[in-house]
Amino acid sequence: MARELDWSIYMARAQAGDRDAYRRLLEDVAPYLRSIAARHFRNSGDIEDAVQEVLLTVHAVRHTYDPARPFGPWLVAIANRRVVDGLRRQGRSRAREVALETEHETFAAPEANYHEAASEARALRDAVEHLPPGQRDAIRMLKLQEMSLKEAAAVSGMTVAALKVATHRAVKSLRKVLGQDRRT
Amino acid sequence: MITTPDLIESLVANAAPVRRLRPPVARAVGWLLFAALMLALLAVSHEMRPDLALRLRQPEFVIGVAASLATGVLAAIASFLLSIPDRSRAWLLLPLPALFVWVSTIGYGCLINWVSLQPGSLPFGDEAGCFALLVLTGVPLSLAMLIMLRYAALLAPTRVAISGSLAVAAVTATALSIFHEHDASAIILIWNFGTAVLLVALGGAFGRRMFSWVAYAGK
Repeated sequence: MARELDWSIYMARAQAGDRDAYRRLLEDVAPYLRSIAARHFRNSGDIEDAVQEVLLTVHAVRHTYDPARPFGPWLVAIANRRVVDGLRRQGRSRAREVALETEHETFAAPEANYHEAASEARALRDAVEHLPPGQRDAIRMLKLQEMSLKEAAAVSGMTVAALKVATHRAVKSLRKVLGQDRRT
Repeated sequence: MITTPDLIESLVANAAPVRRLRPPVARAVGWLLFAALMLALLAVSHEMRPDLALRLRQPEFVIGVAASLATGVLAAIASFLLSIPDRSRAWLLLPLPALFVWVSTIGYGCLINWVSLQPGSLPFGDEAGCFALLVLTGVPLSLAMLIMLRYAALLAPTRVAISGSLAVAAVTATALSIFHEHDASAIILIWNFGTAVLLVALGGAFGRRMFSWVAYAGK
């Protein structure tokens, strides 16, 4: 309530041409308008559009505000009006257009296809998980943890030759599993 | 796309002092005074209908004229109230009682005079003068209303246009009853109310466009 009284005073000063009061009013009011718009729009761009429409309307009809009356209902009436207009416009354009969201965009650069890369990494991890235990340990130590053959031999107790064979077989079967996936 | 802080800065830069609107009822009175002036000018130039004194003794005529005048006054007040953002939209109902009485008197007139309507008696010659009178009162009143309510383009154009047109139509119909000589035939009464309906319908259909046109032309 105290806030509304402040707004009323700011607006009365703004009508007299006080720019500082007007700036303070608009900056104060913007988050409030955003919360009203957020009840009706989900897209942040639409919310900001609605806020700006309301601010423009407030500016255009600021002479209709009577400081003897509360500021809140005046502002909310304008905001509701603009939100309804926005929803109508949205309804019209929805009937004919499909908005291009970020999820729909795709580019040649690998960063743009991060989701695919992530799912491939998961597929590889699953495939490694399903290898026989010897091959799985060999792949983990030598390829994923990047140990040398000697270190891996020391940790696992397998011979260097056995590790080499296990790694070779693991890579072969992984290639088979993942390659099959890709072909289907 | 401009960001909201930038928009606020540009609005602040354009914040010239504005003159506050006078209370809506005072503005409605202003418009009604203008309408009264129009009617007075018509009275000077047009002469009253010769049988006015006689007609004024008939209660149904007096009630009809009073009701159309009341409709005009109430609809004008309603339009100016509706054009302010925080006033209730229920003000649109303000002229309804008077409108109801007005329509009833027209309906009553039709009923009474139904028998007197004969095929050969359609007053075609009358209609040119009748139409001129309608244009003469209706156009300046509509223009004044449009200019006074132009910022309603940004708020509730259809609502304001409907009640504004009703005000113009009712005042015009009042003028017609006072100045235009007619034997209260059904045709003339239908003419009278038909024009009112037409004006209100036009206001409802094109009000939004008219208001925004005047609002932009005024800038």
